[in-house]
Amino acid sequence: MADGRLPDQIHAVGYRRHVRKRRPQRAPWPIARTLLVLAWRRRATKFALLACGGAVLIAGAALVAQLLFRRLLGASPIAPTHVVGSAQEVFAGFLRGQFYLTAIAIAVIAGGCVAEDRAAGALELYFSRPLSRLDYALGKLLGAGLVPLSTLVVPTLLLWLVAVGVSPPDLGAELLWLAVPALSAATLGTVFLTATLVGVSAVGQKARTVSVAYVTGMILLSAVGEGLCEAGQRWAGYLVPERDLRTVVDALLHSGMPSLAAQLVPNRAALPNADVALSLVALLVFSAGGLALLAMRLRREVTG
Amino acid sequence: MLLSFQGVRKQFGTTMALAGVTGAVDGRAVGLLGPNGAGKTTLMKVCLGLIRPDAGSVSVMGMDAVRDPNAVRHRLGYSAEGPGRMPGLSGLESVAFAAELCGLRYREALLRAHDMLDLVGLDESRYRPVETYSTGMHQRVKVAMALVHDPDLVLLDEPTSGLDPESRDELLDLVVHLRDSDGPAVVLSTHLLHDVERTCDAVMIMQNGEVRFAGPLRDLQVGRASEYEVRTALPTPALAEHLAARGVRVTLGGRADVLMVGLPDGDGPEAIWAAASACGASVVHLKARAASLEDAFLEAVGMRPAVPVSWPRPAVVPRG
Repeated sequence: MADGRLPDQIHAVGYRRHVRKRRPQRAPWPIARTLLVLAWRRRATKFALLACGGAVLIAGAALVAQLLFRRLLGASPIAPTHVVGSAQEVFAGFLRGQFYLTAIAIAVIAGGCVAEDRAAGALELYFSRPLSRLDYALGKLLGAGLVPLSTLVVPTLLLWLVAVGVSPPDLGAELLWLAVPALSAATLGTVFLTATLVGVSAVGQKARTVSVAYVTGMILLSAVGEGLCEAGQRWAGYLVPERDLRTVVDALLHSGMPSLAAQLVPNRAALPNADVALSLVALLVFSAGGLALLAMRLRREVTG
Repeated sequence: MLLSFQGVRKQFGTTMALAGVTGAVDGRAVGLLGPNGAGKTTLMKVCLGLIRPDAGSVSVMGMDAVRDPNAVRHRLGYSAEGPGRMPGLSGLESVAFAAELCGLRYREALLRAHDMLDLVGLDESRYRPVETYSTGMHQRVKVAMALVHDPDLVLLDEPTSGLDPESRDELLDLVVHLRDSDGPAVVLSTHLLHDVERTCDAVMIMQNGEVRFAGPLRDLQVGRASEYEVRTALPTPALAEHLAARGVRVTLGGRADVLMVGLPDGDGPEAIWAAASACGASVVHLKARAASLEDAFLEAVGMRPAVPVSWPRPAVVPRG
């Protein structure tokens, strides 16, 4: 200190043993939280979330306007079927648009979730701790899954609550039923987007490449599938995830309660059970494929 | 026993990384010494369960590292050699995250991370992203990450590589501090003899995927205490041959007239005098050599030949 310099800090404190006071926590949550914290520091994440938030606001405004209009005018001028149908269409339109927006958001936010760990040599850091491959996979899936959960499932739930809250008293019970198909679609979409994105990330090396490849692949798959389907190749329709989602949701509406909602399935009066099953299988196969890619990558990179 | 290996083999393609490693070592600070490619890092990863050996058993602090790697990792800290880092996190966040992965709660992990960063001497730069760190700062963070969950054993893989002399000194001081405190035992993998000599009380020497020596450092050096440097008036192959015939280890010194003579236990320098007298060599200088880890290491890895391969004979000048 005589020369005005601070003494060397090393060993100033000394090594102290750590006495653990609480039971250990599971590793997946810190992994997921860290993934999201790192993503939040990027400007692209904020833009993506802003776009998703904007879509929710627009859908919410349309829904509220329709229901309030009916409420203010009273029961006579507009048939209840029409109002419920409009609400259902707003939900369907919202879910369709939000599915693609969420695909972009999850690609931007979690595209590098596994790829960056591989590129930076961080897998060794993870697995030199008491961490299993399952813990790691769950952490990454949880982190990535929180994105569609917050941009797809939670907004759908909020929109539905708003719809039920502001609807005229005679339509409240009918609108309740919309929650099942809407939330089912949002949940299925969340599972699909999370599993496929993490799978693609497990294959890639750079976050940006993974994000671009994922969004491009999703758009190409949809375009090619729809195109082939219109050209008479019906099987190609199962390649379009968003179309598969719609099929499942329509089936849910149709096979539901004998309510107004059951009459509202547009252009699909009677969906064959095989179509619905195949759509569901297609979604699950895509998701399982993503999980398989992740599992294969971890198996190759990490022992035990 | 800190580490114990029995017939550990691991092959990557055509490369035999570990060729039947067998040995055991104990101590507060163990140096894992060997030239590049000796298999040190592979052996460390086998201890951690990051690599499954093709054959053999590995025991770390009495636990089977092959069968139950997770239990081993709970009690082990590891600082990897490579540039492994969590991109985007600060030094503090990296260390706290490492603690959380080991089961500490967030708040607990943060406090412990501060403690460890104080210990390794990372000041306010702990709040900067790790990408902006120098090699020395990065090494410190890696050591802090290895220590943060309070392991019983910490494996440091080439922690001083790429460091400037001052940072290297500080890091070695830290290893000495850990050795002398009630903290974790240390395994220091390095190819720098000086690092081991300064910090370790035991050593495991590896070469070509095999253990050449494992035990306390003093055992390695005690074996050298009976080595003598002998200078003769003229290069005298007869003396070397005479000694070698008696089973004495003889190697060439730096010059043709200098021999390095390693006497068997119990023999004193008088054996050299007797041999010189018997073969008519004129000894002008006889000195016991100081124990050197470098010599012991070179001998252990077989880089110093036990007997001279060829001997320069003095030129015969015809008279008249």
